[in-house]
Amino acid sequence: MSKTAKYRPTASKEENQFREALKLYDSKQYKKSLKVIDGVLKKNPHHAESLALKGLALYYSDTDKASAESYITRALEKDSTNNVVNHIAGIYYRAVKNYKEAAKWYQAAMDHGSTNKSILRDLSSMQSQIRDFKNLPKSRLGYLEDQPGYRANWTASAVAHQLHGDLANAEKVLGRIEDLIRDKLQESDYFEHSECLLYRNDVIAQMGDYEAALKDLERIEATNMVLDGLSLLEKRADYLMKLNRKKEASLVYRKLLKRNPDNAKYYYQLEDALGVRNSPRVRLALYEKLASFYPKSDPPNFIPLTFLAGEEFKQKAKNYVLGQLRRGVPSTFVNVKPLYKNNSHAATIYSIVSEFFETVHDQPLTYCWTAYFLAQHHYHVGSYSEALKMIELAINHTPTLVELYILKARIYKRMNELDQAASVMNEGLKLDLQDRFINTKTTKYYLRADNVHRAIDTISVFTKNDDSPNGLRDLHLMQSIWFIVESAESYLRKYRKALGEHNDTEAKTNLGFAFKRYVSLTKIFEEFSDDQVDFHHYCMRKGTPRAYLTMIDWADNLFDQPMYNRVLDGLSESVLEAVRHKELFLTDHGHKKLKKEEIRKREELVQYSQSVAEDDDVFGEKALQEIIRDEKLDVLVKQQALLHQQDAVFTQIFNFRVNFQLKKYVLCLQSLNKLLALDKRNPFIGYMVDQLRNHLAESTPDTIKKIVSVGLMKNFNKADTANLLETYFGANNLETALVLARMSETVFQTRLSEIKEKLDPYSRGLVSIVQLSY
Amino acid sequence: MAITIRQATIEDLEGMQNANLTNLPENYTMKYYLYHLLSWPQASFVATTTDPELDHQDKPSAHETKRDMQYVAPGEKIVGYVLGKMDDDPESEDKTPHGHVTSLSVMRTYRRMGLAEKLMRQCLYSLCENYDAKYVSLHVRKSNRAALHLYKDTLKFEVLSIEKSYYQDKEDAYYMKKNLVLSELVPSSFQGGVEDNLDEDLLESILEEGVGKLN
Ligand SMILES: CC(C)(COP(=O)(O)OP(=O)(O)OC[C@H]1O[C@@H](n2cnc3c(N)ncnc32)[C@H](O)[C@@H]1OP(=O)(O)O)[C@@H](O)C(=O)NCCC(=O)NCCS
Repeated sequence: MSKTAKYRPTASKEENQFREALKLYDSKQYKKSLKVIDGVLKKNPHHAESLALKGLALYYSDTDKASAESYITRALEKDSTNNVVNHIAGIYYRAVKNYKEAAKWYQAAMDHGSTNKSILRDLSSMQSQIRDFKNLPKSRLGYLEDQPGYRANWTASAVAHQLHGDLANAEKVLGRIEDLIRDKLQESDYFEHSECLLYRNDVIAQMGDYEAALKDLERIEATNMVLDGLSLLEKRADYLMKLNRKKEASLVYRKLLKRNPDNAKYYYQLEDALGVRNSPRVRLALYEKLASFYPKSDPPNFIPLTFLAGEEFKQKAKNYVLGQLRRGVPSTFVNVKPLYKNNSHAATIYSIVSEFFETVHDQPLTYCWTAYFLAQHHYHVGSYSEALKMIELAINHTPTLVELYILKARIYKRMNELDQAASVMNEGLKLDLQDRFINTKTTKYYLRADNVHRAIDTISVFTKNDDSPNGLRDLHLMQSIWFIVESAESYLRKYRKALGEHNDTEAKTNLGFAFKRYVSLTKIFEEFSDDQVDFHHYCMRKGTPRAYLTMIDWADNLFDQPMYNRVLDGLSESVLEAVRHKELFLTDHGHKKLKKEEIRKREELVQYSQSVAEDDDVFGEKALQEIIRDEKLDVLVKQQALLHQQDAVFTQIFNFRVNFQLKKYVLCLQSLNKLLALDKRNPFIGYMVDQLRNHLAESTPDTIKKIVSVGLMKNFNKADTANLLETYFGANNLETALVLARMSETVFQTRLSEIKEKLDPYSRGLVSIVQLSY
Repeated sequence: MAITIRQATIEDLEGMQNANLTNLPENYTMKYYLYHLLSWPQASFVATTTDPELDHQDKPSAHETKRDMQYVAPGEKIVGYVLGKMDDDPESEDKTPHGHVTSLSVMRTYRRMGLAEKLMRQCLYSLCENYDAKYVSLHVRKSNRAALHLYKDTLKFEVLSIEKSYYQDKEDAYYMKKNLVLSELVPSSFQGGVEDNLDEDLLESILEEGVGKLN
């Protein structure tokens, strides 16, 4: 095929018309393009290229998005080796975010002879997005060979090698372009050049030869072309430490401190470089010196408190704490809270501050902040009524400080007086209507009190509401994860409370809302993941490969982060509850006519829960019904595939719960054994053993039952109930209680009551609510 | 303490977005944060709590990251941030390279301890050093006393103009600007401490000065 002819040179009339349609499509005149295509298809309904283009034009013209894909598939059926069809399929699947299919068809387009090299660029983006690092270097290289005049393509090729684990080739490519470009640099290239020099140095260091890395660092520094002074210093210090040239390293840390005396890490690293960690005397003297250099920085004043003891600790702590109280620093308590891990430090600090408190009655602000400190102390050690007394003292004295109300509300919350807590927070809010922070807190406290509507009304003061009744849509659009997760959890609690009161309608509605919120949350994290797409190309052009690689790492762990665990816990809980309480969703309440009052109430509910402009299932009812009928739990199974950290504790627990419902007991057994290896006292182990022993579905075939019981014998042969209790449920904490709440046998419930006695009232309340649905 | 100021990384962005949603009405989607860090990786900073190891500790340190948007690692939560960038609007009149502060906020319970000032000083230094910014500009609500004090008095910005109804709710903005000269921006130089001349041997000088003290 000749190089210029992009498309098959059958210069028929159809072909010409198709090209015209393509031109119209390229200039975004989708409707006109569709018209021309329809003309072609009328004469030749099998014209594959036109079918494909029709699919794409339908998608972009918004006329009939739903049938777009069927045209693409039909085109591929007609002629799957036509590179134009392949290319269009690639574009289509990229648009619908099916990156795997997109990569497949872009690749097919190249394999089937397309001479359009820009496909390689798009292919590379897709391969990066789906982490197909095996094939990435080849497509990056293909593009580079076509367009060697751009540094971006060299960088991209190097990054591809690195992602594929080939550091040596990455370094080689970077070295070559550096040589080629050295004398041609313009001012506008300087930043890119600086980043690329540092990137190459990263690669050298990652190969493990720090001598070489340091040498390279000195070389690039000498060119005076590296702009990022912080990176130069941090790298230098790191290499020197690794090469055991500590004295030189110490000087670099001092330089780093001059740039940023508020980074605690540099102080610790300086200590290590000077080798003084084990001699408290020298350490203290060192910090005194550093504090004289950086008197307004916290670390040199604070760090000594972490290693001093006795009278010395007391003196230092006194200066530290009282200095801040006198300056009216609201965070004084939080600043010393880490020291409370040591019981005697906690006692010392308390005595310092309470003595001080007696002497400041005539200094109004100091008096107030000191009372605030003491209230936090009492709160922290669990004396809630003492804490309350103290904070009230402060509020009576100065009723205008918002911080005081925040703490008072927090104390009420811990005492499980949630309505009271929210209303105190709201008093604080009224003192400063301009500050979104206190608004956020108040919203959160209404959610904790399960007053969702009030929460939405509160937060909507700060959202963009345009033509929506409140800020709910804006909060979803702006990815306000904290708000959505707190709402979801509130709905889940409301669901359980309603179950407890045998109010089925209420239970069903709230479970549906919870489910909807959790699904929205999974979508936000998917958006985060999709956000990478444009940057696979952008960063190469911009010359930020180092930052790009950190993005890759971030996105790789997106679905394994603790926050996402919390989302998955809730999502699985809402789905599994729906399955356990099927009757809520499946009993036909008849299509009985709603009364006027009920209609009004339903409309109000829609106002407070519709989170996107168009939604035909605001109540999440249809979705849950489908899940229950289908029994395959696709929503959850899809999530299992996203968990990359196969050896994480959470992954075992999540997989167990999903697979248990799917009756895949052998897989459950595997999760159990893995969890045992990872965290041998985890309360979920006890739960899993009990489930596998006593709660298999009746329909389970005997062979499977046998496999499970033999499997359990290996690790739990001697573990009777008493033994399970002792080994896995010995801790008196919330986590253990929440697991026991799911276990119905009396022995477990007795143990749960014991634990609950030892929990704070708020945690106890949370456990009681979970118990309502088990 | 135990607050650290450091350069922001991609891993911090969720926590920064969370702090922004908590503190300010001007919010952005994740893609905009990514755009900042992937275009100007050195221009943004965060303030985080830390979990120092103590010598004699009775209670264990948290070994797991809390399931809360604020946290980026065990004991490490984002309590303040500054999101900085270079002006890259092709329509800008002024073509001299200059920076812009997109967003700055500190969680209320950590305010008034100098974190915003420190975050800003890092940001200004970095914009100047890495991107050769000749000046930096920003918008601030006319009624925002705390921020105005910080920019005008503490950081010596000047008001260039008033932009009518700049914000969503129609409040006016001050458009402020500060010229940047690298040697005048070294963050530690604003502390009034003794300067570390980097010449003397720290340990030797400690030992000499401190023999008396040490015993
Ligand atoms: C504005 C804000 C970032 C300041 O943070 P901060 O960490 O408390 O500020 P700092 O402690 O560094 O204080 C810097 C200076 O401002 C002063 N200041 C801080 N809060 C103040 C207040 N409420 N009123 C008057 N001055 C105040 C400090 O006294 C200090 O002045 P100094 O240098 O003369 O001692 C913080 O209040 C905030 O996050 N507010 C909400 C979000 C916001 O408005 N962001 C700015 C948008 S442009």
